[in-house]
Amino acid sequence: MPEPFDVQRTSDETKVAIRGSLDINSAPDLSDAIDKIVATRPPKVAVDLSSLDLIDSSGVAALVKLYKGVRANGGAITISGARDQPLAIFKLLRMDKVFNL
Amino acid sequence: MVATIRLSVPGTLRYRPIAVRAVAEAARLVSGSTPRDAKNPSIDPLAHDIRHPFDTAVVSAFMEIFNNIAIHAYQRKGDGSIEIEITPTKDAIVIEVKDDGRPFDLDNVVDLPAELDEESLPEGGMGIHIAKTMLDEMTYEPGPPNMWRLSKRLSAPQVAVGRS
Repeated sequence: MPEPFDVQRTSDETKVAIRGSLDINSAPDLSDAIDKIVATRPPKVAVDLSSLDLIDSSGVAALVKLYKGVRANGGAITISGARDQPLAIFKLLRMDKVFNL
Repeated sequence: MVATIRLSVPGTLRYRPIAVRAVAEAARLVSGSTPRDAKNPSIDPLAHDIRHPFDTAVVSAFMEIFNNIAIHAYQRKGDGSIEIEITPTKDAIVIEVKDDGRPFDLDNVVDLPAELDEESLPEGGMGIHIAKTMLDEMTYEPGPPNMWRLSKRLSAPQVAVGRS
């Protein structure tokens, strides 16, 4: 199985694409990557969820950690492309408004 | 005829995808949904394709309960099994999930903040809230064995449309 996420850094933006299932089994790996991303104090992070099929509360927690970590350093973060089951979860948790989905 | 599907898996997260897959396919029996790329042989057979609102609700709730059992009841040690009984009918599904681990204190689960903003975004404690909200009914009886009972009905518009 390929890693369920992909991080690309350019000079002005960090792109994080997450695919497949972000759950209790895959979220710890993403969480480690998030620590590294946040440590670089990125000014702009774009999270692409268009290839994300499934998420659970552990996956949501990892995304919240990324969101808060980037914002705490004064960075900007956008989360886009959520669909189907993940979008339903964000709506249920009323995070769709905070994340501007 | 009411058919019940029984699955027993070791109580660790390693077996979670198998259990989730079984529940997803059982939900499809009720909702009538088909995987998006069912005819595409190149698609990853392990990919989860959950779009129908009924499948979404059932799978989302079950994933959280499985997580809860593996982490809280079996303390990530997996010294026990998770017994799953899935009963799909024409317009509903009932899933009973039993474990022999530590009982869970459902009353101790805190509600999510009423107003959610950047500051109050939760980083945990969402699982039970997701399961409860997604289902029509969720009950828990401490054991042994501990038993979760998850019920979801196909709602009228979903029955009428048949599939999304």
